[in-house]
Amino acid sequence: MPMGHTATAQAGSGGLTATEHRLANGLRVVLSEDHLTPVAAVCLWYDVGSRHEVKGRTGLAHLFEHLMFQGSAQVQGNGHFELVQGAGGSLNGTTSFERTNYFETMPAHQLELALWLEADRMGSLLAALDEESMENQRDVVKNERRQRYDNVPYGTAFERLTALAYPEGHPYHHTPIGSMADLDAATLEDARAFFRTYYAPNNAVLSVVGDIDPEQTLAWIEKYFGTIPPHDGKPEPRDGSLPDVIGEELREVVEEEVPARALMAAYRLPEDGTRACDAADLALTVLGGGESSRLYNRLVRRDRTAVAAGFGLLRLAGAPSLGWLDVKTSGDVEVPVVEAAIDEELARFAEEGPTAEEMERAQAQLEREWLDRLGTVAGRADELCRYAVLFGDPQLALTAVQRVLDVTAEEVREVAKARLRPDNRAVLVYEPVSGEAVSGEADDAGATAAATTDENEEAAK
Amino acid sequence: MTELATMEFHPRPQAGEPRPWAFPAPERATLGNGLTVLRCHRPGQQVVAVEVLLDAPLDAEPAGLDGVATIMARAFSEGTDKHSAEEFAAELERCGATLDAHADHPGVRLSLEVPASRLAKGLGLVADALRAPAFADSEVERLVRNRLDEIPHELANPSRRAAKELSKELFPASSRMSRPRQGTEETVAGIDSAAVRAFYEKHVRPATSTVVVVGDLTGMDLDALLGDTLGAWTGSSAAPRPVPPVVADDTGRVVIVDRPGAVQTQLLIGRVGPDRHDRVWAAQVLGTYCLGGTLTSRLDRVLREEKGYTYGVRAFGQVLRSAPDGSGASMLAISGSVDTPNTGPALNDLWTVLRTLAEEGLTDAERDVAVQNLVGVAPLKYETAAAVASTLADQVEQHLPDDYQAALYRQLAATGTVEATAAVVSAFPVDRLVTVLVGDAAQIKEPVEALGIGEVTVVAAE
Repeated sequence: MPMGHTATAQAGSGGLTATEHRLANGLRVVLSEDHLTPVAAVCLWYDVGSRHEVKGRTGLAHLFEHLMFQGSAQVQGNGHFELVQGAGGSLNGTTSFERTNYFETMPAHQLELALWLEADRMGSLLAALDEESMENQRDVVKNERRQRYDNVPYGTAFERLTALAYPEGHPYHHTPIGSMADLDAATLEDARAFFRTYYAPNNAVLSVVGDIDPEQTLAWIEKYFGTIPPHDGKPEPRDGSLPDVIGEELREVVEEEVPARALMAAYRLPEDGTRACDAADLALTVLGGGESSRLYNRLVRRDRTAVAAGFGLLRLAGAPSLGWLDVKTSGDVEVPVVEAAIDEELARFAEEGPTAEEMERAQAQLEREWLDRLGTVAGRADELCRYAVLFGDPQLALTAVQRVLDVTAEEVREVAKARLRPDNRAVLVYEPVSGEAVSGEADDAGATAAATTDENEEAAK
Repeated sequence: MTELATMEFHPRPQAGEPRPWAFPAPERATLGNGLTVLRCHRPGQQVVAVEVLLDAPLDAEPAGLDGVATIMARAFSEGTDKHSAEEFAAELERCGATLDAHADHPGVRLSLEVPASRLAKGLGLVADALRAPAFADSEVERLVRNRLDEIPHELANPSRRAAKELSKELFPASSRMSRPRQGTEETVAGIDSAAVRAFYEKHVRPATSTVVVVGDLTGMDLDALLGDTLGAWTGSSAAPRPVPPVVADDTGRVVIVDRPGAVQTQLLIGRVGPDRHDRVWAAQVLGTYCLGGTLTSRLDRVLREEKGYTYGVRAFGQVLRSAPDGSGASMLAISGSVDTPNTGPALNDLWTVLRTLAEEGLTDAERDVAVQNLVGVAPLKYETAAAVASTLADQVEQHLPDDYQAALYRQLAATGTVEATAAVVSAFPVDRLVTVLVGDAAQIKEPVEALGIGEVTVVAAE
């Protein structure tokens, strides 16, 4: 069973270590000890996401994720939630294009319970899954879609831009939330077939991070997961590769009841896991990350044509990543004014590249984001799974920040010149209309099982 | 029709031996300039969290200038005597820091997060901002315009629109709490750099401020570091400022904010209750969790997991302003969104849940699970420096002792089912709740009127 990497810290890992193991049924296991706080995070990534969905069944991976919380052979009803929360733990699941993850953070002495629960649903979900859960969670997910996308201004921007940026038929053309029509069409049999196809120990990575005894933890994992049979025959997702650039500007104008004009765009960028993707991350940070970025300085501070202006990066491994531009205009300013200024800034950047000071700032920002990510056991567990599932090597998570710091200004300029061009983007323009319409704030690529708030949630936010 | 699994099953495991954990106790000190300092060493937390509390509450804003505290808070990061606005932002980002500032009823709060290796630089910038803010005319004018541009976005957001309406309904027009925290179009338009500077000079000084520093402080001479930065900030002492009592009208009623065509109705159902100084607080936290703290609480058990009307409805208590003399207040509320056609049935179920709770009370099992969760999650919840700093700052802001949170966990563990029931039932009495619905009035008014939960009025979204 153990097939061991040593637990010696690598250069640039900040002293963090991880060991890797594989059960006979193919389940990959990553363990990382950290005894500073008596907590342990369990994270399980299944190598299935919305890119595996077929025509007419968009949203199935995410709807299925909800069904994973509806009980399994030895767990009644909402028991997954009840037992974890009753043990002082927290839990959730999320679905994105490329994976579905489930996670619990537990007081360290309750770790075994979380492992037992995850094993139970991995091995026996279909012993509990019934029509009643299916109908109920279908309604819940449709309300999730309404709340996060359909009932908020600009709420469908992410979905629209994704559909523009990836051509019809491409596995990333639709987003994880899926369409209402497809959510309505999904059947219990679809869900059962989905489980039988994708939910198997040999299609998953389990990480456990925190105040753990690695030997004991491995023994528990063997005990609970070891007899779950593996199965093959998982269809590979459709090929997501695309040419480096789109070759033309794609454009859609949306006339809706929104509070202000908006210019949003998605640029096709290098795949996650490459040095060029890290360079693109730095380029987008210099151009549109935070309040000292070029676009913020130009549009918000100097021209005063925008309320907010920024770039984000949606990292994807199985298809080109997307550079996400979001600008809301100020007052009566028209979109072409803003667009011309952005094109000018991007063109200048492609020629000049970042200054040494800009590189320093962007690297410092990304470094802090990584420290934040790895600063909690749950964040570390998730990153270890991510690198194991998408890139085959969890150790890469511990050295990711060093790779960002190694990128040179010239590499940043090169990727900007090659990719941040008008003929490599999909553009979405919002023109406000008054009258009946629907509208929100696009946030991330994911969809989650449970709305979360706590005692301190600010009602006025 | 289900199918059998082929794995080997084992009985559910029992918990191991719990390992001790306690909410961290800060060290408290006062600098020569009167600034209160709380520090807390958290090994392994490489990103240090710094919170600065300024005794510049919203009710201190001059009449007609609602929003001046917000503009001042934002203007702190728009230049100092050493750096222009652009340079200041660049310097902050150069040390990998983020700095947020916002104004709320109890005061203004600055939150800095910075890698431990660059704490000195980050603290220096924050000290400059507090000691010698530029408040340049053109920067303040830009912040005002930017704020005016934000308002329509907030009004278009259903949950923010609901919060605005609830405040207006609950509190008398003369109370600052009835009006938007960040001002309205009319009041913000009247703010200029002179108004910001006047507010700053009257209400910002080290003697009435507190700084909280949490993170891995290994090998750091924090005293010297603070002395060189925030210690160099000077200011006069201040007389205590009288605080007006909070009054609210929670007569049961319904206000629909009309949003024709909306596919969901945003619910915000609330009233006002005591702050954390009240002995009922622990029992109220416990009871409120049982009512609507999570997906397996009473509200979601019906509204989400049985009926599918919503993605999730939560009940919570949030302190608005706190005072040791009992004059403080918190907002007690239930919020969530339900699909438009099921708005009437969902509210009907919600009221049934409240009535059943009042008639039958909580069960011991519910109480036990809630205590285990609320107390058990503490080590998870306070893993990061930012989480610890934020709670320590809340305690100071609310005039609570530094060991309040630690004591709260002991009180929660000692609270029984009967007390928790009494607290949540009196927090959410069925006839004393103000209901705000942001949704399509043409579709939801009639079914809501039929419920008899109070008089229904409709207002325009804008």
